[in-house]
Amino acid sequence: MNTVNSIIVSTRLRLARNIDGLPFPHKLAEMPSRQVADTVEKSLSYIDKFERFDIGNISKSDGAVLQEKHLISPDLLEECPFGSVLISADENVSVMVNEEDHIREQVILSGLALDQAYDRVCRIDDALGKNIKFAFDNRFGYLTSCATNLGTGMRASVMMFLPALTLQNMMDGCITDVGRLNMTVRGVYGEGSKADGYLYQISNQRTLGVKEIDIIDSVKGAINHIVDAELRARQLLKRDESELKDGIYRAWGIANNAYKLSTAEAMQFLAMIRLGGYYGYIDIGDEKEFQDLVTSCQPANMQRLGGNEMSVDERDAFRARYIAAALDKFCKKNDLIKE
Amino acid sequence: MKCTNCGLREATTEVLIRRNDHVEKKYLCGDCAKNYRPDTGNDSFDMLNKLINGSPMGLLSNLNSLFEAPSVRTLVCPTCKTTSEEFLKTGFVGCPRCYEVFEPLIVQTVKRLQQSDRHIGKRPHTAADTAAEEARLKAEIRSAVDNGDYAKLGELSDMLKRLVSNNKEDR
Repeated sequence: MNTVNSIIVSTRLRLARNIDGLPFPHKLAEMPSRQVADTVEKSLSYIDKFERFDIGNISKSDGAVLQEKHLISPDLLEECPFGSVLISADENVSVMVNEEDHIREQVILSGLALDQAYDRVCRIDDALGKNIKFAFDNRFGYLTSCATNLGTGMRASVMMFLPALTLQNMMDGCITDVGRLNMTVRGVYGEGSKADGYLYQISNQRTLGVKEIDIIDSVKGAINHIVDAELRARQLLKRDESELKDGIYRAWGIANNAYKLSTAEAMQFLAMIRLGGYYGYIDIGDEKEFQDLVTSCQPANMQRLGGNEMSVDERDAFRARYIAAALDKFCKKNDLIKE
Repeated sequence: MKCTNCGLREATTEVLIRRNDHVEKKYLCGDCAKNYRPDTGNDSFDMLNKLINGSPMGLLSNLNSLFEAPSVRTLVCPTCKTTSEEFLKTGFVGCPRCYEVFEPLIVQTVKRLQQSDRHIGKRPHTAADTAAEEARLKAEIRSAVDNGDYAKLGELSDMLKRLVSNNKEDR
């Protein structure tokens, strides 16, 4: 397995934009908010097919599914009744409307793909910019409702799988190191605990006084630093190989045979199986497919895949069957006898 | 931005003081704004203030007119009605115009957050950009014709066609 692919899960790049002359979303009434969404929808229709969801018109569970897929933010779902999102057919592009800013253009790609994500988001930005006059100031750049996004309005994030650094309590040092590079680290589903699948988001802090390309380079620099640290930590973890193997095989055993699995358990066991993929104990197949399985195990996605309204108990049982079927389909435990 | 009087709390109020030939601006926190009077020195002012407030009503009140009365106000954006207090409390401005209205307060915050207050990145495309791009392509096409570079000519013509059709679509 490619060592970098075993650490870097996905790349997300977003640009924050606002419409000149209009109050920002938290000061905007329903009717003009709808008009903003209509304008964005029309502008995007020239370049690709996008499906529109208005937060006020979708069910809570459908909203949660989009959030678990990172296509919308928790804030759009919970704080923005006049918010909307436009999602491309391949789900690689989502444009949130009337969240913190009028427009949040976002591209999500598998693996480390900052340059490709930037190219794609620029195409979206240019297409929107032809029909919409963005709020822009020569000194402050693109104007945003919060000064933390001023200038480029760009946030480049990379989702990383960091079990070895977490298990050996080395994340704090890592966070301090990348903090010096003006980067932030946070847990994808929480604080990066076992239950969160050891998934972290690394992103730039500064958006003003730097060029987009420099932001991308500095994120790449931080990512390289963390990849090196995680690889060293994985070597250290292997010093007690029997313990390591036992943890991974137990996770494999339970994930394949449990009758019920909660979200937290699923995240923990799948993380260990993914780590087993790195060490070659388990063949986990395609990284993207594996990450899709992790996303599918989140509560709202599970509920949707189950079809019917399920109790927590029923959902946990369904999750266990779903995971076992998926592991059977594309994962394989490598032969123990070879050791 | 810190209060220019006490230097301790965040400034929320702009104070305009008319001098002989100019207007001086100060940015004060709520506490200092309440007690602020211009150029008397705090001690002397406090004594005078007590004298005015403690005097029989009206007797010394016209002493106020001896001073150039400051205009004390919380900044309010005329477009979205966001106040400077609201901005400092939440960190959010209400509209693009707020950046002009609260500029002195915002610049400090921005410098602290971003270590810079100058944008150097991407800029929105304007009609002038498109016109310049069209002119550049046409010049290159002329040069390709002159040089007999037909491969390049085809490529440039396609680019010009795309640019023109995009513009029509946008209109």
